[in-house]
Amino acid sequence: MIPVFLAQLTKECRNPLLLIIFIAASIGATIIFTDGTQSPTTVSIFSEEENARSIEEKWEPLLNEDSDMRFVITDSEEAREDVQQGRADLAIKLLEDDYRLVTTSNLPTVAYVDQHVRKVFEKEATIQSAIEQSEDAEGLRADIETKLEDPPMEMEVDSITGDELPNYDMGTQLMFAFTLLVAMFIIGFRINNILKDKVYGLWDRMILSPVSKTGMYTAYIAYAFFIGVVQTLSVILTFKYVLNYDIGDRLDLLIIIIAFFTFSMVSVATLLTGLVKKPEQFYAIYPSVIPIIPLISGAYMMPGTISNPVLTFIADLFPVSHAMDAILNVVMYDGTLHDITHSLLFMTLIGVVAMGIGVNLVERRKN
Amino acid sequence: MIETIKLRKDFKEKTVVEDVDLYLDKGESVGLLGPNGAGKSTTISMISSLLKPTSGDVKLNGESVVKHPSELRKVLGVVPQEIALYQELTAYENLKFFGRIYRVPKDKLETRIQTTLKLVGLKDRQKDRIKTFSGGMKRRINIASALLHHPKVLILDEPTVGIDPQSRNYILEMIRQLNEQSGTTILYTSHYMEEVEQLCDRVYIMDHGKVIASGSQSELLSILSNEDTMRVQLNQMSHSLVKAIQEIDVIRQVEETGDGIKIIAKKSTNLISNLVKLADQQNIKILNFQMENPSLEDVFLHLTGRTLRD
Ligand SMILES: Nc1ncnc2c1ncn2[C@@H]1O[C@H](COP(=O)(O)OP(=O)(O)O)[C@@H](O)[C@H]1O
Ligand SMILES: [Mg+2]
Repeated sequence: MIPVFLAQLTKECRNPLLLIIFIAASIGATIIFTDGTQSPTTVSIFSEEENARSIEEKWEPLLNEDSDMRFVITDSEEAREDVQQGRADLAIKLLEDDYRLVTTSNLPTVAYVDQHVRKVFEKEATIQSAIEQSEDAEGLRADIETKLEDPPMEMEVDSITGDELPNYDMGTQLMFAFTLLVAMFIIGFRINNILKDKVYGLWDRMILSPVSKTGMYTAYIAYAFFIGVVQTLSVILTFKYVLNYDIGDRLDLLIIIIAFFTFSMVSVATLLTGLVKKPEQFYAIYPSVIPIIPLISGAYMMPGTISNPVLTFIADLFPVSHAMDAILNVVMYDGTLHDITHSLLFMTLIGVVAMGIGVNLVERRKN
Repeated sequence: MIETIKLRKDFKEKTVVEDVDLYLDKGESVGLLGPNGAGKSTTISMISSLLKPTSGDVKLNGESVVKHPSELRKVLGVVPQEIALYQELTAYENLKFFGRIYRVPKDKLETRIQTTLKLVGLKDRQKDRIKTFSGGMKRRINIASALLHHPKVLILDEPTVGIDPQSRNYILEMIRQLNEQSGTTILYTSHYMEEVEQLCDRVYIMDHGKVIASGSQSELLSILSNEDTMRVQLNQMSHSLVKAIQEIDVIRQVEETGDGIKIIAKKSTNLISNLVKLADQQNIKILNFQMENPSLEDVFLHLTGRTLRD
């Protein structure tokens, strides 16, 4: 088993470029995509309706209330041009009771702004419809406003430690999301070595040797696990110590999560390997399936953005959504081992089941 | 030492190997000859315990190895048809890898690797990666990888496919040495009859999944013993002459060659005089006349009506 593991490692060291590119890409992508993500300082708003002025004046204070972003009324031409030239990520076109995003990208920033704007519009719509039923419109509005300010029933939102709820840091979330995505690729390609070595006849040669089949699988799986952990950890440590990202103080918990995730993902990759016949098919299918998973898991978006039950169900079948849950819990909300047990168990379950089916499928291909 | 009993393999509906009985005695060098697709690789996969037979059995010293292959695997070295090596690793690293998975003791491994590299003539290239090697060199390392644990039985599947004649001779000579000097039992698969003629004590000829003939070379050639092959060189080609010759009752086959004809006929006393008479009648001169020794190729042709490389 050890020689099989070492052969893989030597091969990797002979050709480290791919691994380095992958690691660099995940760091690069994080830096590019998180640049200025948290909250753009100013967002242009404009309206092109007939009563543009009054619409703008109505929404401007509502949008700016309760937000760390600044919504500024801008000339529509100018705002559009800013977006086109890339000087701004987005602008907002106001309608009477609705709005449109003007943007060329789907950066996380856009989703972030959109979320705030939608909340404001929905709240206003609720108030509006309540007022319409009423005689004393002004009085009711004031009433609702005060009730909202000081609700009769209140849901406490507290962080676990009882501190102020921390500002949500989209950049850190994206960093982990990209890192895990790249890890999924690397793990998959390494597991695919089983298929490759089968095609080249190396697998048969090993079978004829005294190495047991279990030993062979263990070696390939252990290697994919090893390389996955090395990649993920080197990225995360780079962010923590070189780029000074705030990823909390519980590196130990993060390492545990990464280990569980990597194991789980190795199993899923083994399962996918079992489903294809040739390594080329794997190269065709894997890269087109894998990027979708974090997408539908909502790993690139604010938590809770994805609420379609079908999508969340599919996402939950893959380890990445559980790993993200656990990581965000630890990094953003100072979660403890107890808080992430649930996610760890899920990943273990996925890992064990997928490995069992996967190895069986890979074996079945034989005869 | 090793024998197969009514070995059979079906892939789905297709029968690829059927009722193959063969045996290898200790120290023998045995050839398995047959055209592409005859079922040679499938047969040796079953013998080497990589593939389960649909029916039949493989025995090592009388014990079935289909259910318990470990005893067989200990004494077996298999050189696969494809180059089953790590292309990114050096020759030395590949041999070390195979030595280690075959559990060659640590203190012996280094000398084994060096003697094996010397045997295949690639000692000075050991630090180079396999992917920089020529086809012939890759083949040689492919063989070397199966030798590190000093197997008592060596099975080689077409180890000379697609390489230059020089490497080919080198490999054949190497295998002969292993057989004659180290007493390694050899099962050699090929679709080149010259190789088998050169190397093997006994031969099995396979076609369409079945063994169609077997025995020592002289036994096989005696299949043709009541036939003569001759080449006749003529001063001019004549179709009517060919036709006339075909009419002779002992003639089995007449074939036009560049400068005359090749004839396969039953042994008979007056064939030659008949030929001369027919040629005279048509005013054609016989310039040269030559009896040929039949080869395994001719045996195959006789048995199947096809050449090995059809
Ligand atoms: N795994 C398989 N599935 C189906 N058919 C196969 C398989 N392996 C070999 N065959 C078929 O069996 C026949 C014999 O193949 P093989 O044993 O490789 O012949 P040879 O080694 O003599 O060239 C071929 O027709 C080949 O297509
Ligand atoms: Mg073959």
